Amino acid sequence: MWENRCKVAVSGVGFSKVTRSAEVPLAAHALTAVKEAVADAGLKMSDLDGLATYPELPATGHAEVDGISIVSVNCMMAMLKLPNLSWHIQVGTTNIGGAVQQAVNALLAGVCKYAVVWRAMHNPRGTYQNLPGAYAQGAAQFMAPYGFGGPGQGMAVAYTRWLERHNQNREKMATLAVTQRRHTQHNPHAYFYGTPLTREDYLNSRMVAYPFCLFDCDIPVQGAVAIVLTTADRARDLKPRPAYLAGYGQRLHFEVAGRIGSLADYMEGGRSSAKLTWERSGFSPQDVDVAQIYDGFSASVIYGLESYGFCKEGEALDFIQDGRIELDGELPLNTFGGSLGTGRIHGLWHIIEGALQASDRAGSRQVKGANVSFVGASAPIVTGTTFIFVREPY
Amino acid sequence: MSDWSKATRPIPVPNEWTKPFWDAANRGVLELQRCQSCGHFQHPPYATCTQCVATDLKFEAVRGAGTIYAYTIMYHTGDKRFASVVPYASIIVELDAAPGALMAGNLLEAEYTEAKVGRRVEVVFEKLNDNITLPQFRLARTNSTE
Ligand SMILES: [Zn+2]
Repeated sequence: MWENRCKVAVSGVGFSKVTRSAEVPLAAHALTAVKEAVADAGLKMSDLDGLATYPELPATGHAEVDGISIVSVNCMMAMLKLPNLSWHIQVGTTNIGGAVQQAVNALLAGVCKYAVVWRAMHNPRGTYQNLPGAYAQGAAQFMAPYGFGGPGQGMAVAYTRWLERHNQNREKMATLAVTQRRHTQHNPHAYFYGTPLTREDYLNSRMVAYPFCLFDCDIPVQGAVAIVLTTADRARDLKPRPAYLAGYGQRLHFEVAGRIGSLADYMEGGRSSAKLTWERSGFSPQDVDVAQIYDGFSASVIYGLESYGFCKEGEALDFIQDGRIELDGELPLNTFGGSLGTGRIHGLWHIIEGALQASDRAGSRQVKGANVSFVGASAPIVTGTTFIFVREPY
Repeated sequence: MSDWSKATRPIPVPNEWTKPFWDAANRGVLELQRCQSCGHFQHPPYATCTQCVATDLKFEAVRGAGTIYAYTIMYHTGDKRFASVVPYASIIVELDAAPGALMAGNLLEAEYTEAKVGRRVEVVFEKLNDNITLPQFRLARTNSTE
């Protein structure tokens, strides 16, 4: 087991308003989320001394303008002018989960005391995923000429392989979409709060990239979320019950850039991240009381459930049936609605929910007796990270 | 069936790693990068062998017969250049001669509903301009699985 097991905790969480289009600059969303997380932890802004984010705009063919379409560490530093700032970082390979892990490492190293991590997501005007212009450079030269533009299409091809190799039926995914949308009705911060979804809505919705219909894809939104992390001993002195971090991992596998459609790459990425997390935390999938698994495209949940070890390969769409992922089911899943319910904010919201469930702070969607709370914060293939939070630091 | 003459594809820009691939395609030959140390074929081209990390890599001609490893049917019309051809099949092909090297293409000369994992396909070449010819695929016309 990890020598630093349960030595860092999540103490505060914050949310901006989530809107379909950019009504105010993204920097304002990020600022709201950070201030709310600090207030939730019962801290003052001047207590903050660590900053971390992953600022990428996942839309293709749009400019990255700091404060407008991304919110970098520099942007946050300039806005906050923190008097006691002592550490910051911006990560590349692991999406936002890696920024959280870097903050954990900085706290363990003693180079900061209270770190905030935010994820701010912009919804640009026009088409979200654009193919390149007249010419396709780099890895795109082998994909864009054939119509492959965004990550969703790469995930769609792996999904057809999964479906046909395992003789499965995409209509079973309706259970995930409908169940998560029901969970969303317990999350007032979510974009689809107040908007129900029926099985018929799912089955009748238009195709985007088969096997993905509209409701297999998270809706692009403008918004930000944030968390405050601190060491376990400091966390115990703060207002909210701490969510202790029992272990984390990150994917250790990468194939050639530009290779798409390989189901084996998803599985290897997820397995490698989960293995570290199970070993460090001392838990196994059977110990998990509640799980958040990244669902930017629905099939990510399949790759997650199988590669993390919750079920066997080829079984995920059967595993999610029969009430198993309901709030009172055997494995309550994406209890905050997932990205399919909140809108496209990436995996920090999954991490937040994992922490809220572990600290008994999830309100009407709280899973009873949630002591071991698992998070898969990104699609396993390229950016996968996994976490386990616990209620008691045993 | 999609009429691809009505679509305008983004044109690949060869770089130092990929130029031999495109030069060969321009001659109507499919060449993939092969490790001279362990014999492994890979695609897309890379700086090192992804099996044994050797740097001695050469492009070698391969037979353009393989199977559909995975596919998607594109329905979105966000990019107007492809709007007139939806729905169309974009496929990932694993060549018999190069297991593990996954190539993208469109399924040409067939209804999109013909795309299925495991179906046999063969390479055809689609000329985009004087410098660039795209390897593409159609359903195999022979039953050979060698
Ligand atoms: Zn080799």
